[in-house]
Amino acid sequence: MDSFIKLSNFSKIVPYVQLFEQGVLVTVLLSLFTVAIGFCIALVLALMRLSNVRPLRFLGLTKDGHQKESGVLAAVSRFNPLAFLATAYVEILRSTPVIVQVFIIYYGVFSIIDLPSFRLFGFIKFDRFFPGVVALGMNSGAYLCEIIRSGIQSIDGGQTEAARSLGLSQVQNLRYIIFPQALKNILPAIANEFVVIIKESAITYTIGVQDIMSAVNAVKGATFVIIEPLLVATAIYFCLCFPTSKLIAYFERRMSRGDKR
Amino acid sequence: METRDSLIRVEDLKKHYKMGTIRALDGVTTTIRRGDVMVVIGPSGSGKSTFLRSLNLLEEPTGGAIYFDGVDITKKKYLDENGKKVKLNVDELRQKMGMVFQHFNLFPHMTILDNMILAPMKVKKLDREEARRKALALLDRVGLADRADAYPIQLSGGQKQRVAIVRALAMEPEVMLFDEPTSALDPEMVGEVLDVMKGLAKEGMTMVCVTHEMGFAREVGNRVLFMADGKLLEEGTPEAIFGNPQHPRLQDFLSKVL
Repeated sequence: MDSFIKLSNFSKIVPYVQLFEQGVLVTVLLSLFTVAIGFCIALVLALMRLSNVRPLRFLGLTKDGHQKESGVLAAVSRFNPLAFLATAYVEILRSTPVIVQVFIIYYGVFSIIDLPSFRLFGFIKFDRFFPGVVALGMNSGAYLCEIIRSGIQSIDGGQTEAARSLGLSQVQNLRYIIFPQALKNILPAIANEFVVIIKESAITYTIGVQDIMSAVNAVKGATFVIIEPLLVATAIYFCLCFPTSKLIAYFERRMSRGDKR
Repeated sequence: METRDSLIRVEDLKKHYKMGTIRALDGVTTTIRRGDVMVVIGPSGSGKSTFLRSLNLLEEPTGGAIYFDGVDITKKKYLDENGKKVKLNVDELRQKMGMVFQHFNLFPHMTILDNMILAPMKVKKLDREEARRKALALLDRVGLADRADAYPIQLSGGQKQRVAIVRALAMEPEVMLFDEPTSALDPEMVGEVLDVMKGLAKEGMTMVCVTHEMGFAREVGNRVLFMADGKLLEEGTPEAIFGNPQHPRLQDFLSKVL
């Protein structure tokens, strides 16, 4: 019986090694930028969701300036437009496929916005790379937002009460008390999301970003060999993802100093 | 005693939920004067904690007023001495009221010293050296200077609560609020925390204590409030409250706890 993997086919890949090297760089850069953009979006979204902005608050006040307890007006007065927008964003981005989002960003948004068509490092097409980063960043922003929000909410309310009773402002409370503790709690979830981003970045080959998957595709088109380049890609992705989760596990251990007796 | 000026005046304070069907506070009126050690007692669910937490606005009252130094802090804005409308700065207000919680609420990711110096540095803008010096002096006072570099989890409950007390003191508040400070402690640690509180009272610190420690109320308090169902039912000296209780609810309560 013929094996579906042929060693001789691996030698056919050798002339295309440079494509894989470039693909690794593109995937790594894509993931790094995605994480950076995603994290910034997520932080803003999470704070919006947890904010207490109530522009219609005056509708829910009694004559002497106290909050009404119930009724339609009291409900309306609690409406928070920032939280509403952030929630809508998160739910829409989480409830639609990434590939649809990538296409809408690439064929829709960036067909209106003209990007300069230069090449990073001489081979990365910026006008494809950039839309890919934006689309992936927006998508992971929605997921990271929920992670950050759950992290903030996982901190006991007594911490905030103690901080505020000492006179710390809302922002100081978040910065010195809540975030450091929340970050520790959500590191495993963030590590997971980082790994997901590295893998999900493969989808951008559909808009012509030259990542690892696009190298696989190029080899397939030129040599009609498919399984072997896929195995190479598998190995590369594993070598990227596995150390990433290990690295974050290391930081997790370092940050749990306060837990040790 | 009557000559002491009032620091906090509470008028008809209300906290209602769910269309007034739940009344955590139902019209509480009292005055806290400088140097008072006010002890609030009552069955659980009587609104003692809500009353205390309303004083520094951790709970937002739904009616009534709290005058702190003459300013109604339940309103978002007030008139200053020149008759100008000023926005109430809640953070500034809270600096003047130290609070100690049942569950200590030390910051677990910081050492004891960092717990102590955070607010003085970030809020009062002291430099690190000065904040450190003050913190160590305070820690020394409660016998914990040698634990400055420990993390909260390495401390016993009693030690944690002593740290929580001096952490609040580090902000040099005008009044200290204690929310059942010994309720989460093992019995053998209650004494060390009460001793610190007694010391504070002796120094003339204004204190409001919600507690189940009747011995402390009798010995250290100069005024005792009895609350039930969100109402202030009886108020008086410890001698009057414990020796000659008037209200049947208070008589009933004391017969159960004493």
